[in-house]
Amino acid sequence: MLTAENLTKTYRRNVDVVKVLNGVSFTVRDGEFVSIVGASGSGKSTLLHLLGTLDSPDSGVISLDGKRVDNLPKRDQDMIRNRTFGYVFQFYHLLPELSAYDNILMPAYISNSLLGWWKTRKEWRKRADELIERVGLSHRKKHKPRELSGGEMQRTAIARALLQRPRVLLADEPTGNLDAEKGNEILGLLHDLNRTDGVTIVMVTHNLEMAGTTDRVVRLSGGRVVEEKGPAFRPRLMPAAV
Amino acid sequence: MYKFLLCLKYLRTRYLAFVCIVSIMLGVATLIVVNSVMSGFSNKLKDRLKGVLADVIVETDNFAGFQMHPDLLADKIQHSPAGKYVDTVAPTVEVVGTVQFSFRGMNIVKPIKLTGVDPAKQVKVGGFGQYLERQKNVAVPSFDLSPEALAQHEKNVQLEALMTEPMPQPVRDEPDFLGKGPDLKADGIPLPPVPMPELPAIVPPKPIGIVVGHSLAHFRYKHPETGQMVEEATLRIGDTVMIATLAANEMRPVWGTYVVVDYFKSEMSEYDSQFIYMNLPDIQRLRHMDERVTHLQVKLKDDCPKGYTFVKGNVANEIQKLFGRYEGRAATWEDHQGPLLSAIDIERAILNLLLFMIVGVAGFSILAIFTMIVSEKIRDIGILKSLGASNRGVMGIFVWYAFLLGVVGCTAGTIAGLGITNNINEIEAFINTLTGQQLFDRSVYYFDRIPTNVEPATVLLVNTGAMLVAVFSSFLPAYRAARLRPIQALRFE
Repeated sequence: MLTAENLTKTYRRNVDVVKVLNGVSFTVRDGEFVSIVGASGSGKSTLLHLLGTLDSPDSGVISLDGKRVDNLPKRDQDMIRNRTFGYVFQFYHLLPELSAYDNILMPAYISNSLLGWWKTRKEWRKRADELIERVGLSHRKKHKPRELSGGEMQRTAIARALLQRPRVLLADEPTGNLDAEKGNEILGLLHDLNRTDGVTIVMVTHNLEMAGTTDRVVRLSGGRVVEEKGPAFRPRLMPAAV
Repeated sequence: MYKFLLCLKYLRTRYLAFVCIVSIMLGVATLIVVNSVMSGFSNKLKDRLKGVLADVIVETDNFAGFQMHPDLLADKIQHSPAGKYVDTVAPTVEVVGTVQFSFRGMNIVKPIKLTGVDPAKQVKVGGFGQYLERQKNVAVPSFDLSPEALAQHEKNVQLEALMTEPMPQPVRDEPDFLGKGPDLKADGIPLPPVPMPELPAIVPPKPIGIVVGHSLAHFRYKHPETGQMVEEATLRIGDTVMIATLAANEMRPVWGTYVVVDYFKSEMSEYDSQFIYMNLPDIQRLRHMDERVTHLQVKLKDDCPKGYTFVKGNVANEIQKLFGRYEGRAATWEDHQGPLLSAIDIERAILNLLLFMIVGVAGFSILAIFTMIVSEKIRDIGILKSLGASNRGVMGIFVWYAFLLGVVGCTAGTIAGLGITNNINEIEAFINTLTGQQLFDRSVYYFDRIPTNVEPATVLLVNTGAMLVAVFSSFLPAYRAARLRPIQALRFE
């Protein structure tokens, strides 16, 4: 269970002070697909970054299964980002020099030393093959990101996010840069992962229609949670291995 | 793992890095070539110096020489603690003087360093034998006139006699103003010559041979038409010279006439243009110094148990103890030529320092290019950090990248440097053909080829230095990259 309590975050630029989050509290249960919506500048992405330890809050607590993660040493936060959270960004954020396959394997490259990689490479490759097949890109594994379409790049990014079997998938406007058809494809993929594999997903979007398909919608405004609604939580037995 | 993967990918895809590689390559190649040539020159010079000098030289400032007989001095050295390392002790007399000779009607006088040697011993202590032109590597060189020298000498004597024969007098047919004559009788018949008393035949003294430095006996000039350096002998084998120096015990000049029997060519201009060698007894006789000598040349055994350099210094110190402070000075040949050898070392050090600036420039180009690459790669750094890459890991990417550039640059530079060094004479000949200018004037150095000597330790040192510069230059941009917060990097556009 991922919990945020009283999170505040302020950005300062010269003399301007912008309070982006002003005491945000909410909880994401295991296996839940939550979407965060709100107007531009409402703090959706900032909240997602804080949850995923990509940034640190000015105050407040973020905990995972009751353990604080916001104040962990950098080394431990690096490990959490590598193994516990998976990220999907609006602009895909793939490494341009690497093939789609190597991009998917990148979390494994990061978590393993040269020797460690050599010993475990077969398992990792098997896992990457499964994922690339799952996202329907087996025929594009050797292609560089510049040779892929937007939808394919996002599917590659999703496969990369899932490589380490993360507890939580954090998606920041994953369809924001795609047309409606491709966007629906990606949303379908996320739903599929959530339903069949039990991956907990927190998705930031400003597309209310898409948000409506998720388990719960959290609306932010003025740096606060102003509304939470959605169908009743459908509990799952456990977050199954993806 | 990702560090190596990304380094290799960047190396293959970032063509800007090629500039870094070329900079390092040029620096390394230049340093290797210059050091090899300098080392070649230095070694050649040392070989030549070593060739004309013994391992340890004992000399006295007394113009009359050591008080003791040279055999006693040698015995003293052989029976000292240093004696077990000593192979041969050769006595010599070394004084300054002048040489005078005629060339094309000109009377030429030159300053010389006159050295009296015992040829049998001298060949054992240094390269005296190998530098003689006519008697090269002869077991015991001789100062006796060779048939060639003797023939030329006799020809010279005859020519001289011809030139000094009294001028024929005209026959007087009437008394001159002094009242002498007439040389004719009244009937015009010449008077019979006045009979001269019979004198015993004068046996000409046996000519004494000397060996003259090659440059002293030759002069070089550029041919006005061909532009080539031409060498002409001013002193031929068999020519006679007059040598003047000072007597041993009193300040008065002594001189003698000698015949050139051989040339000495060590390719050291200082020696070849000034040195004249003669037999030890001849110089002792010339200077009235009995059997005394001014120098002792000490040759050490080749199989010194504790290492030649160590033993040589110690032997010099031990020998010094045998002589009083003012009686004699013992020094190694390096000490003797200290200023020259130091000058070479200093020259080499300064050249290295200056040329290492090329590597320094390569370092700055790495710094500049890496700063650009880091700016360009900020988003990628953000991606890596969002995937769990640590600060150290991100820093490692750029440091390893610089290391890899260094390895490639150093490898290419070493190959290029060694290639140029090995073919430097061919390259020089090619440039000569292209430009028509001779880069390496053989007449200046007496070398037929540009000498080179590749020292593995120097090559290693140059490579290590270049690698360190490459890696250190990447630290600042790498640190900047590592310090970026993930979200700051991801938001960078």
